[in-house]
Amino acid sequence: MAMPEHTAFDTSHPAVAVCYFAGVLAITMCSAHPVVAAVSLVGALAFSALSRGARATLSGLVWQVPMLVLVCLANPLFSASGSTLLWRWGPLAVYAESLAYGACMGAVLVATIVWFEDMARVVTQERAMSLLGGVAPTVTLMISMVSRLVPQLMRRAAVVRTAADATCVADGDGRPSRSRTRLTSVLLTWSLEDSLVRADSMRARGWGASSRRTSYRRHDFRTSDGMALAGIVVLAGVSAFLVWVACSQWRFYPTMPTLVAWWGYIPFAAFVALPSVLALVERASWRFA
Amino acid sequence: MSVDRIRSVETGDGAGVESVPALSFSDVTFAYAAVDGATSAGAAATQTVLSHVSLDVPEGAFCLVVGDTGSGKTTALTLAVPAIAPVGELEGHVAVFGRDVDTLSVAEAASTVGYVFQDPEESLVCDTVWHEMAFGLENLGVPADVMRRRVAETSYFFGMGPWFDGDVASLSGGQRQVLALASVLAMRPRLLLLDEPTSMLDPIAEKSFLSALFRVNRELGITIVVATHRPAPMVDYATMAVGMHEGGVRPVDLDSLRGPGDRLSVHGSPRDGDADALMGVIGRKAESRPAGVRGRCSLSLSDVWFRYGREDPWVLKGLDLELPMGGTGALVGGNGCGKSTILSLVAGSLRPRRGRVDVASASSVAYLPQDPKALLVAADVVSELMEWSGRGGYGPGEVDAVLSSMGLAGMGERHPYDLSGGQRQLLALAKLLLMRPRLLLLDEPTKGLDLSARDQVADVVRSLSDEGVSVLVATHDLEFARATADQVSMVFDGEVACTEPPADFFADNLFYQA
Repeated sequence: MAMPEHTAFDTSHPAVAVCYFAGVLAITMCSAHPVVAAVSLVGALAFSALSRGARATLSGLVWQVPMLVLVCLANPLFSASGSTLLWRWGPLAVYAESLAYGACMGAVLVATIVWFEDMARVVTQERAMSLLGGVAPTVTLMISMVSRLVPQLMRRAAVVRTAADATCVADGDGRPSRSRTRLTSVLLTWSLEDSLVRADSMRARGWGASSRRTSYRRHDFRTSDGMALAGIVVLAGVSAFLVWVACSQWRFYPTMPTLVAWWGYIPFAAFVALPSVLALVERASWRFA
Repeated sequence: MSVDRIRSVETGDGAGVESVPALSFSDVTFAYAAVDGATSAGAAATQTVLSHVSLDVPEGAFCLVVGDTGSGKTTALTLAVPAIAPVGELEGHVAVFGRDVDTLSVAEAASTVGYVFQDPEESLVCDTVWHEMAFGLENLGVPADVMRRRVAETSYFFGMGPWFDGDVASLSGGQRQVLALASVLAMRPRLLLLDEPTSMLDPIAEKSFLSALFRVNRELGITIVVATHRPAPMVDYATMAVGMHEGGVRPVDLDSLRGPGDRLSVHGSPRDGDADALMGVIGRKAESRPAGVRGRCSLSLSDVWFRYGREDPWVLKGLDLELPMGGTGALVGGNGCGKSTILSLVAGSLRPRRGRVDVASASSVAYLPQDPKALLVAADVVSELMEWSGRGGYGPGEVDAVLSSMGLAGMGERHPYDLSGGQRQLLALAKLLLMRPRLLLLDEPTKGLDLSARDQVADVVRSLSDEGVSVLVATHDLEFARATADQVSMVFDGEVACTEPPADFFADNLFYQA
């Protein structure tokens, strides 16, 4: 896997990033407005290109665009309402409003997916855990153990299969169900045996010695993080209010009002563009230093 | 950066002359509690493991505890750690720094005595390096600031910076064991107990682990007790040694442990008779199979290119390798050089991206993975060996014969996991041999084995070769390669750098020596 690109969230506390993505996702998912959906989608794709790379973004679009088209075309099947009849096949009437609604929902869906992908890149498991660590150290430890043991189990499963297949392939009576039972049985015994040693290893290092576990803190919450967080909350609040206003004046059925240029879209656009702009500024500072 | 003394003033080691031993056993006798089912193996109701053991390890010592598998080394060490002490009847006293271990609280014990296990794959708990380092300190409820300082200091001491941010899964075996050591040291124990800490490591990783251990002892003044069946590599670091034999303990002269304790004889050991008996079972049946023409290759890889994923680098780059029918080939080379990948390609579980892999007897290949547990599925040894009897066309008679020739007679009722590591390896090998393979693939067959088990595996491999079975073995154990192989290939940079008979191979190498 390629190294992740650096983003503005690198230097801030994980809470800032989590708060930002939560805000963007909430506004995007709760809105049914073509401008809001379009702005959010463009912002998500831009930040995706900057943080995950153009290639990863495009390879995602390979399935996301057909999904958007599918949602758009499928909507008239379920809601045959609207006022502008485009064409009619027997009982099936296709209205422009219905298509527009489908397109808008498709855009919201794709934007949400891409924002989640962006968030996964920025808020790595380790950062998410350090956020959780202060509150629930034991849960954090459990997640850490699971994310070590599950891949280990997968690797072992591959070894068990290789060994059995290499030796028994000749006889050709591979019965998948049988071999899966066998696989589970081998892995279970193996893991149980391991867990005895692991339990000893945990106890020898003082497991259960203290009633309250502490947490190794990798990220300090500083004043600058507080200010960033406050800024994000204010911008998210303003955007959410204006988006709510826009959505409440908008309807798809029976006829769509005309879209007008309105200053109220600007805060949300700024909110959505924020990480991309910061990433571009950061890159420019390297080029023109 | 001065991190010479991780152990700080808190422990008050400036107190001058200390006559209290770091670890002392006074007239300790220990017997495991009777376990249901153990009696079937012919054991007594209680099994006395230690009898009247008295031992003082002074503070600052580097003590080796040597002895064969089953001599009670592990039991003795774990008795000093109350959290993992075995259940049984204990007489006498075990004390650390003058305090009876039973009187220590969990937290006191954890920050006084550190314990490093044999296999880091089993003993590591967390997914990331930093979390593993912090694990013990989090358990003790150490405040975050103190924790950060200790973790930082310890990782500087071991030079862990470059991989501190990584996942445990991406570390080499040697790095994992260093991590296991570091995560224990972060808790600042004054006494460190290690059970066969290098048996899972390759020779190069072993050396670097031991030198880290040496620094811990000499620079930090931490008392170290290592249980090992192969003391030779550690003798130079040690200050004292004791031998354990059948539950008793006696002092041992360090110099007597020096020397090539791990030599394998090229021409076989007195156990040869057993291996011949084994071949009597396996070989007789093997004749019924179409034998390959002598002189043909049992396997050949030509211009093989392989990588694991689209984005991954090439592991094998135009690799060529041939093994004559009935020959034994050894693959040697560093960690991650592609030895195991070659075995998987031959086993057919991976396909080359380019090039050809031809196996003359593709229908009778057997593959022994690094960890024999991957082959073990049944609840007792006999049913384990019977698992593939239908496919392999053998019966209980052959199973009995193989068991006795492998020295596993009388263990038929045991659970495979109750066997020692060496016995388990032999069991897995026996299971494969019952399938009468014409080509046997072995991945690190001597990893973690004690000397006698290693000897036995070498004997089996040699007699297979006499029977015309081809063997391809990937190993770090150069001594094993020298003793068993007809040809040794060094894998480097995705290619076979050279393939030579062992005599020439080792004669021409400067430091890759057996």
